[in-house]
Amino acid sequence: MSPIFLIQAINVLYGVTTLAVLVLGLAVIFGLLGVLNIAHGEFVMVGAYCAWAVTADGLPFLLAVPLALVVCGLLGLVVERVLIRPLYHRPFDTLVATWGLSLLLRKTAEAIFGLGFRSVRLPLAGTWHFLGVDYPSYRLVLIAVSILVLAALFLWYGSSRTGMRIRAMVGNADLAQAQGIAVKRLAAGTFIAGTILAGLGGVMVAPLVPVQPFMGLDYVLRAFFVLVVGGLGSVLGVLAGAGAIGGLDSVVSALIDGTYGYFTVLVVAILFLWLRPRGIFAHN
Amino acid sequence: MTEGKLAITRRTLLGTAMGGAALSLAPGLIGRAAAAAGEFKIGLFIPLSGPASLFGPTGRACATLAADEANKKGGILGRQIKLFIADAGGPPADTAKSAVRLMLQDGIDLAIGSHDSATMEALVSTFKGKIPYVYTPVYQGGECDFNVYCLGETPAQQVEPSVTWLARNKHAKTFYLIGDDYVSPRKTNEAAKKYIAAVGGKVVGEEYVPFGAPNKFEQSVTRIKGVNPDVVLITLVGADNVNFNRTFAGFGLDKSIARLSMLLEENTLKGIGAESSNNLYSCMAYFAAIDNPANNAFKAAYTAMFGANAPQLGTIGVDSYAGVNFAKALVEKAHGTNARKCMAASEGVRFEAAAGPVTMHGRQVDKNMYLANCNGGQFNIVATFKNMKSGTTCKV
Repeated sequence: MSPIFLIQAINVLYGVTTLAVLVLGLAVIFGLLGVLNIAHGEFVMVGAYCAWAVTADGLPFLLAVPLALVVCGLLGLVVERVLIRPLYHRPFDTLVATWGLSLLLRKTAEAIFGLGFRSVRLPLAGTWHFLGVDYPSYRLVLIAVSILVLAALFLWYGSSRTGMRIRAMVGNADLAQAQGIAVKRLAAGTFIAGTILAGLGGVMVAPLVPVQPFMGLDYVLRAFFVLVVGGLGSVLGVLAGAGAIGGLDSVVSALIDGTYGYFTVLVVAILFLWLRPRGIFAHN
Repeated sequence: MTEGKLAITRRTLLGTAMGGAALSLAPGLIGRAAAAAGEFKIGLFIPLSGPASLFGPTGRACATLAADEANKKGGILGRQIKLFIADAGGPPADTAKSAVRLMLQDGIDLAIGSHDSATMEALVSTFKGKIPYVYTPVYQGGECDFNVYCLGETPAQQVEPSVTWLARNKHAKTFYLIGDDYVSPRKTNEAAKKYIAAVGGKVVGEEYVPFGAPNKFEQSVTRIKGVNPDVVLITLVGADNVNFNRTFAGFGLDKSIARLSMLLEENTLKGIGAESSNNLYSCMAYFAAIDNPANNAFKAAYTAMFGANAPQLGTIGVDSYAGVNFAKALVEKAHGTNARKCMAASEGVRFEAAAGPVTMHGRQVDKNMYLANCNGGQFNIVATFKNMKSGTTCKV
């Protein structure tokens, strides 16, 4: 196997796993709560600025994780309370409300940090010799962390008590409440978990991309594509969607070029919306 | 036909706007008319919204500085310069609307623009040569419309000398071209292929990524690793430029392959960061780091006026300084803003850009170009190319 082919294969794996993690936050909020969170990308952006703030102060990169947890968690708490709670079960209204929120977050970031690009120093520079090829070490770590996060979430959602309660709430909120599940609190917790996951995704990609107020736009569209293709309400759906969208994009970009990669993604998303709007793993 | 319809609409609009303006201004008309004769009104089109608005504050500050300096010396033909700033960061059609308003309502005498080339085309067809239009930023060359004057760097000035320098000093023979998929990168690469062939080099790959899409560059960088060229010529802009260069260095290719980026200024380099900018080159007419008497004086005046926290200086932004100075030189040489006279006067007109005086020929500007390597995230100037020709000659 030629080394270039192998690197492209790792690129595909990298593309799929990181995309899956970047979608998780939206999968939780849109997939479980039915809230069309257009501001998903802005929570990713906030996470990325957390990484920048920590490293710019000369602190270790990993401190960005608790910082993003706190910042995105608090943001999620406030947003859920003020904006989302009155709008549950009104998907279109949540779309408009979170669109406004995305503008507000973007402009706030612009007001605080300015429009200029920020760069976050790679916490792990250089490449590792791996299966006979050199691959950037930080990206390899990201692949591993992404797989761990996905696996943990898969297990937790399927087997924990809270996971079961959430599934009950998603299945039938009224019935769940009648069973003594505090649905409001559970929904709030689920929303906050979604914003935190988005923020942590932002921390992860921050050392690889330009950090700037508009960066969220890069993530939100692709995240919705993944959910359209994969279907809502399950970790498997996220994986399938990320595999289809991220995989196709990476493979076609490697074989032809980025324009065709993006083109394929758009075509696949449209075909799914048209022919199979509930996705591969539809949640009923 | 469409053209005719458009013209009628615009005339109708003109009538309505003038009527409205006359009515609403009637009480203060006399005072206003007197003031209007005294001021030289310049429309300044810079991005104030959207991602490019990063450059807006620098452009505004530099134009203000130039206008202030000119006004202290009597303005333009004895008239004080007044700047009318309009947003050019939105869709070109919106900018064109602002241009119509500035022409009809405010009666600007001349327009200066620092924005993308799509907006430039919209403004050219809005002004239709009625007022001099000075297009200041780096661009792909070849713009020759009536009463339009281009000050920015062209491929002939950026690519030719730097490719030649890399061939001579770094023994570069093979080149890989990567850019965003729109007019400017494709035109630049078209020109670049000629210059590469001229030094006996070879293009070993060429690819474009969709402009404005959320691009990733792992695949492109791996492809480049497979081809292993001596130089990658980059015509990606903004976030794509940052993203590509960070990925490129992340894969460790910066050690063996040189990169030459066509739109790399101070803000973009900040995004790329020190660790990803080794063996990366940029060729521009202006860097804040240029150490010559003209630039040092310019920077001192800039800091004196706007303080230590003034917007970052870079080639996009300081072009507005040259724009105002050019406007003064041109209009004074032509004794007014008559289009024919301005066109004729533009030939050989000399004016101050931030890094020193430059001369216009064929409505483009010959200028000194600076090649910088970006080691450590700083522009270190390694070569100066004196008095480079623009490669475009327009009728005057």
